Amino acid sequence: MSNNEGYKQVKRMTPAMRIIHWVNVLSMIVAVITGLYIAEPYYQTLIAEGAVDKYVMAWNRWGHFMVAIIFDVTSIIVAYLYFFSRFEKSYKKVLPTGANIKEFFEVLLNLVTLNRRKKFDSTHSDSFNTVYFTIFHLLLAWMLLTGLQLYVHGLGSGESSIGAWWPWMLHLVTDWTVPASHAILGGAKATIMDVRIVHHYTMWFILTWVVFHIYYQVWRTIFWKEGDIAIVVGGSKFVKESN
Amino acid sequence: MSKNKEESVKKLFTAQSASVDTNLGDSYYTELYAKCQKRLDELKQLKPLNNRMDFLESIEEEGLDRRDFLKWASATTAMLMLPAAFTPLVAEAAVLMNRVPVIWMELQDCAGNSEALLRSDGPQIDEIILDIISLEFHETLQAASGHQAEKQMDEAMEHFHGKYLLFVEGAVPLGMDGQYGTIGAKAETFVDHLKRGAEGAAAVVAVGSCATYGGIPAAAPNPTDAVGVMDIVKGKPLINIPACPANPSNMVGVILHFVLTGSIPELDSLLRPKFAFGYRIHDNCERRAHFDAGEYVEEWGDEGAKNNFCLYKMGCKGPMTFNNCSIVRYNEGVNWPIGVGRGCIGCSEPDFWDKYAYERPMANANIKAPTGGVEKSVDEFGLGLLTAAGIGIGIHAAASYVAGKKEERGES
Repeated sequence: MSNNEGYKQVKRMTPAMRIIHWVNVLSMIVAVITGLYIAEPYYQTLIAEGAVDKYVMAWNRWGHFMVAIIFDVTSIIVAYLYFFSRFEKSYKKVLPTGANIKEFFEVLLNLVTLNRRKKFDSTHSDSFNTVYFTIFHLLLAWMLLTGLQLYVHGLGSGESSIGAWWPWMLHLVTDWTVPASHAILGGAKATIMDVRIVHHYTMWFILTWVVFHIYYQVWRTIFWKEGDIAIVVGGSKFVKESN
Repeated sequence: MSKNKEESVKKLFTAQSASVDTNLGDSYYTELYAKCQKRLDELKQLKPLNNRMDFLESIEEEGLDRRDFLKWASATTAMLMLPAAFTPLVAEAAVLMNRVPVIWMELQDCAGNSEALLRSDGPQIDEIILDIISLEFHETLQAASGHQAEKQMDEAMEHFHGKYLLFVEGAVPLGMDGQYGTIGAKAETFVDHLKRGAEGAAAVVAVGSCATYGGIPAAAPNPTDAVGVMDIVKGKPLINIPACPANPSNMVGVILHFVLTGSIPELDSLLRPKFAFGYRIHDNCERRAHFDAGEYVEEWGDEGAKNNFCLYKMGCKGPMTFNNCSIVRYNEGVNWPIGVGRGCIGCSEPDFWDKYAYERPMANANIKAPTGGVEKSVDEFGLGLLTAAGIGIGIHAAASYVAGKKEERGES
């Protein structure tokens, strides 16, 4: 392909990062489909069958909690890579240094001027993208903590199939989300319903995040002409040599 | 509430939600047993206050025999999460209930909790016990009124200073210096009334959701600035028995526990006794199988309702509500909300009227206009839009002015 002259290939995502990305995508789709059912069962079961033969809500909850646990694990890995990755330590891009702040606004200007201004290096993950990525993982962490708080109330006996330490630990780690959710919503006293409402709201924030995320990645691909959309599949993109 | 930042941060990270430890170990119970015995012996030395009725005679008059009483005693022992060996002590404590003075105070409420324990069809043992407790003062029940009533309360508080249990029913309005609720000939505000009563109490028991969290008076927009007893009374043992109305079984449980041990039962983070509020309704619900199966009542009276399907889609809040009513039920185990075919409204949880009782699943709750009220939304929206338009016009005018200048100078 002679057209490739003048373009160099830059590696942007390691195989581990790409696997985590797609695991998260699938988990999120399942979490939203089952979560909406748990919030308000939007399809009905066949009424003629006995309750003993169906397990519809239970399967939805099973799926929801399973992907939540997968999310937990990928989040822990992401949190680790955020600081210790040998490929790219994301935290370096969110530190409020002059260079980062300048890059952040340059990328933002690039977006709002519809690519009429592009004064930054697009060969690496930029500050804007990393901040956006960080927001997602903070929302996700909040989702996981509130979710586990709601979950642990189903273990009211203080026991679980893997021992009493598990509900004990969940209480220890997530009980603070009750007053925190109350601080967000207000009202007379903190209550478990505050957590549920906030958990539900956060889903919409994350979905909004996803909408912009997909739009922006496609937009970059179209306007920058650097093949950004391929990063998440093949791990690399192409940048003009002269850049 | 004036709370400094440090305190609220500390509170945030030490918060605990409900978790119940039902078995505290043999040595604990052996010690407790000895303590209870000693306490009951002490109480036996005391004379019943004010010539109260004898308990065992009272239950006979109501047509119950000793066997019923003992059955009740073992059920109550279990409810209080005590080992079966405590049953004779519980029975003895019930007989000695008339030795503990109780003052009952009524604030901003509907008297529903008093009604709950008075209006039962045939009085059961729980209600009889509440009949014979040494109720020294109860605004709704007593014959006295006006100055006489106030005198009675003053005397009771003085005579039993440091010994009486103060039961409070109803929220405390704080708005307009508390003048939304006053009582007595001197127009004492509810908040002063409560503070005065709590001062000499051995322990304070908030009965019902209004006394506990402010309840319905505190529901949005809370016009009277109503709060619960625990926001007012500090530095006293305080027990909350929420629910609307509070279950007489739980009231008796708390008094019994106090009579028996001289101390208040183990409480959760909302100061509710764990023996009553350590259970999630959902986990003991008879319709739980239908929840897991995905079988829901879709509308009142449909095929699902006829088949006792789960009421989740009708807004049942059992999965988020902690109370023992799915176990002990109401009116001596006759029935409870889910049993009569309507959902739980979460009446034992904080802010239940705003956050639980909207009778549809949470995802569909839209009792309030999404932004806080129709007029309020329209006004704020209008003001916001006008401001935005003003700013836009300002920017446009400034930009036009700059552009005009540039043009004058011959720049593009």
